[in-house]
Amino acid sequence: MTPPGITTAMPIHGFALLRKLVFAGLAGSLMAAAASVQADIAEVKERGYLSVATEDDYAPFNYIVDGKPEGFHKDLLEDLKAYAKDKGFDVRQEILPWTGLLASVSSGQYDMAFTGALVTDDRLRVFNFAPPFASAQHFYVKRAGDHSLSDIASLCGKTAGLQAGSALLARLPELKRMMADAGCEIGNVVEYQSYPEAYADLANGRLDYVINALISVNDLVKTRGDTFAKGIAVSGDGFAAWPIPKKSPELLELITGFMNQIRDNGRLAALQTKWFGEAFPSMPKEPITAVDQFHKLAGME
Amino acid sequence: MNGQAWLLLLEGAWTTLWISGVAIAIGVSAGLGIALLRMARIPFLEQLLVLYTSLARATPLVTLVLFIFLSAPMFGINLDRNSAAILALALNTTAFNAEIWRAAFISFSREQKEAALACGMTEGVFFRRIMLPQMLTSSLPGLVNEMSFLIKGSPAIAIIGIVDLTRVTNRIAAVTYDPLPPIIAAALLYMVIIGVLLKLQAIAEKKANRLAM
Repeated sequence: MTPPGITTAMPIHGFALLRKLVFAGLAGSLMAAAASVQADIAEVKERGYLSVATEDDYAPFNYIVDGKPEGFHKDLLEDLKAYAKDKGFDVRQEILPWTGLLASVSSGQYDMAFTGALVTDDRLRVFNFAPPFASAQHFYVKRAGDHSLSDIASLCGKTAGLQAGSALLARLPELKRMMADAGCEIGNVVEYQSYPEAYADLANGRLDYVINALISVNDLVKTRGDTFAKGIAVSGDGFAAWPIPKKSPELLELITGFMNQIRDNGRLAALQTKWFGEAFPSMPKEPITAVDQFHKLAGME
Repeated sequence: MNGQAWLLLLEGAWTTLWISGVAIAIGVSAGLGIALLRMARIPFLEQLLVLYTSLARATPLVTLVLFIFLSAPMFGINLDRNSAAILALALNTTAFNAEIWRAAFISFSREQKEAALACGMTEGVFFRRIMLPQMLTSSLPGLVNEMSFLIKGSPAIAIIGIVDLTRVTNRIAAVTYDPLPPIIAAALLYMVIIGVLLKLQAIAEKKANRLAM
């Protein structure tokens, strides 16, 4: 972005400044973490609305059809609005791409993430998770008609695609252990900014398989069964749930109450069947707030 | 790719266009202001502007957009996404434009100034009637270049949830699991936008040349 001839001395200079900026940014965010007053219920009520962050390219959880939100969360948002109305406030939806979503919620731009976020150890340091609404066991996807891939041992040495910074990547060690038990090692792992790119690369042969959570895999195979086929599970159990900042325990309690209500009146099971193709009656009923608790629930020894 | 998808892409193109347009308008004028202030060599202010120019040029757009949007609530500012995006794009492009304007300043011939002052022109009249028009024509290619860079860099604002042209392609591909058609369509629309920009530059240059004769 520079006209030639003016900025020859830039790189060194610029790098030092960039480093300073990064330090300033880090110091700033640490300060923010220490000092910010999180919007817990009192502030939500004062403001009059709860702001929830949703996504736009995460079928079937949150996606856009012809410019309008669609999916599991779009339907559930109606219920959340009704629930919140009884408590005296409104719910406002904001649509964000995943890349900036968790950071925006933890920095206080929004009160909670209303999307299919997977529970991980790292996320549990910053967020509590509401009681999960879907299983997120990880499965692999291959090209339809690729008969060379079947069990875990057949995946050894093959090139895998995953989303960078994802829960899937965080639980890759489990697959590595499974492969070690089968007497072999994992091949190249390529990280993508989002799944559509990974699927495109799987289709054109740059990848051998892609790992994603059960529901996403089911949705993919439903839409593009001509190109992709579902493989077997490559991790222990996992959970999709709503992250709520650790600083808002009252909000977590309220959302837990909301989950209890829709679980008891059958709405949750109905929406699960509608969007995910199956209900998940055995999901934990309590919020997930600690790493140990998560490991125990997911059966990770 | 149906008609609806094209409509969404056009909507995204409009978002890209108006946000970049506002940022460019701010950037070109603020860049001129900063270049003028820097040429005035006011102590302290000059160092401050040098620091700003270096910082803004060294920061990736995505980082800047995220930083502005995420740090706003920390300072108690209620900044909506569009303002955050315009602010970030403008902060970025202003720094580059300031350098383009400054280069035009530095390369301006002293003789013309001496001649103008000898004819009895005041500094203000000289700047308005002689220096600025020439600076404009000599900076135009650089400025338009920077404008096209800004438009092509604008997908960075999608990170805070603005649905620009590139983001629309993600939304469409997320449902169809077939990213190529919307990406090609978006590339076409970007080419049209930049093509129009270059055409405008050609027209402006022609006009300026006629005036200079």
